[in-house]
Amino acid sequence: MSKVLSARPSNLRRFALSGTAATQILLVVVFLVAWEWLSGALHADFWVSKPSQVVSALITWYQSGDLGSDLKITVMEAGIGFVVGSIAGGLVGFVLGWVRKLGDLLEPFVLSLYTLPKIALAPLFVLWFGIGAMNKIMFAAMLVFFMVFFTTYQGTRQVDRDLVENARLLGASRWGIWTKIAVPYSAVWVFTGLRIGLPYALIGAIVGEFVAAESGVGFRIKEATSFFNTAGVFAGLIVLMAISLMLLSGLRLIEKRVLRWQTASGALDVDSGTLNVETEATT
Amino acid sequence: MSVVKLQEVASRSTPAPVLIEFNAVTARFGALHAMGPTTLQVRRGEFLVIIGPSGCGKSTLLNMVAGTLRPSSGAVTYAGALVGGANRDVGYITQKNHCLPWRTVENNVRLPLEFRKTPRAEMNERVAHSIKQVGLSGFEKAYPRQLSGGMLQRVMIARTLAYAPHTYLMDEPFGSLDAQLKLKMHAEVLRLWEQTGATFIFVTHDLHEAITLADRVVVMSKRPGKPKLIVDIDLPRPRDVVDVQSDPAFGAYFKQLWSALDVH
Repeated sequence: MSKVLSARPSNLRRFALSGTAATQILLVVVFLVAWEWLSGALHADFWVSKPSQVVSALITWYQSGDLGSDLKITVMEAGIGFVVGSIAGGLVGFVLGWVRKLGDLLEPFVLSLYTLPKIALAPLFVLWFGIGAMNKIMFAAMLVFFMVFFTTYQGTRQVDRDLVENARLLGASRWGIWTKIAVPYSAVWVFTGLRIGLPYALIGAIVGEFVAAESGVGFRIKEATSFFNTAGVFAGLIVLMAISLMLLSGLRLIEKRVLRWQTASGALDVDSGTLNVETEATT
Repeated sequence: MSVVKLQEVASRSTPAPVLIEFNAVTARFGALHAMGPTTLQVRRGEFLVIIGPSGCGKSTLLNMVAGTLRPSSGAVTYAGALVGGANRDVGYITQKNHCLPWRTVENNVRLPLEFRKTPRAEMNERVAHSIKQVGLSGFEKAYPRQLSGGMLQRVMIARTLAYAPHTYLMDEPFGSLDAQLKLKMHAEVLRLWEQTGATFIFVTHDLHEAITLADRVVVMSKRPGKPKLIVDIDLPRPRDVVDVQSDPAFGAYFKQLWSALDVH
């Protein structure tokens, strides 16, 4: 389609990136070694354990077969909660954001619910939904709901009215404006909400498991604490971190696909007779 | 099917019927009396240019034709009917670009056809044709953020071309472009007007632009704005955007319009 006049020195860039990555790995190694050594030297392993003990706790956990089932349960609770909360938050946020009068009317109520420390609702959720998975799912969904609701609400309110007016002249029906202007316009915001909301899904599941459960990563952490098994607690935390990172990078992947236009780079200009094409993907 | 409409071109020599009519139209925005009683007729296929000081209601006139604004009193009729809601028979191009940033050039041009439920095959044909007409071939898959101001303006024109409205409303569309690019766009607008036979109402601050393009120039007074002078521009057509400026009549029109504008 076009000739490349100025391509970025992408090799150089990749080198710089790998330099950063190497430093990051080095930092992790230094941290682990220092942890291992200091905790032994200061006899602090009761309080902070040490990496070698954490690894063996992880192995034990895995070998007992509990790790798999705990993971499955926690991820399932957080996952379903996330999906349910996102859909509800997105829909309500969109409707209240688009129908201004309704939004103005209901905003104070949603806000006052939002300011409530929602952790305080956990016991109530046990009462409502029992001590099974349903309780954790609903709790996670509730936390996610607020995050996605607010960003979607804000985003939808900011839809450029000029763009909407213009779309009417182009022949848009109400439905066309919704689907082709308003929803894509707020997509950026929805994704922000999803990104913020995702860790909350995990928080919801874990808090739910702390309050009342018979299995799950959160339950395992609580159990380890009650046996003063610090290594077991850290093993649980590491598993949580891994889940969280995995889910987040999955979301990033989807986001990158959906919001591809945001990362399109390079200036194309037919009027000045120059073509500056950057072909590499922005990371 | 062809996007280009030629039916009007032949009738240019004889006075064409009136397409748009402003009848004692006023506009008030709260306490602000923006536009005085304005009566004006625009003929089918005419290239009408409106000039005037800032805030005299030039854009207001266009908005009323588009149906995005109702007159405070008086009536605007389009093709014999009172303008009610959004007028789908017009293409509205302003200085602001209304490209959707998440759609490629091609899909931005496609938008009005999607809204109008044009059959797919015809849609593809029209999109390709209008992109070609504005000289954006090769950029179909580019996103708006990758394009310059001049190119975005072309996308807007291509998008309007795609659904072939009978009337083009242009509100200082080239206000932000540099002088050379502006001339280039003038040539393209003239070509477009000649090819489509559509009616153009073009608002500008730029007297050169006005004389180069217009059949008639309407000079609006200060707020509350209303037409204070209407000048027929009898320069030969087709016009060359550069040559036309060296026509002695061009200078005379310039002087006449400049003094009517009453800029101090």
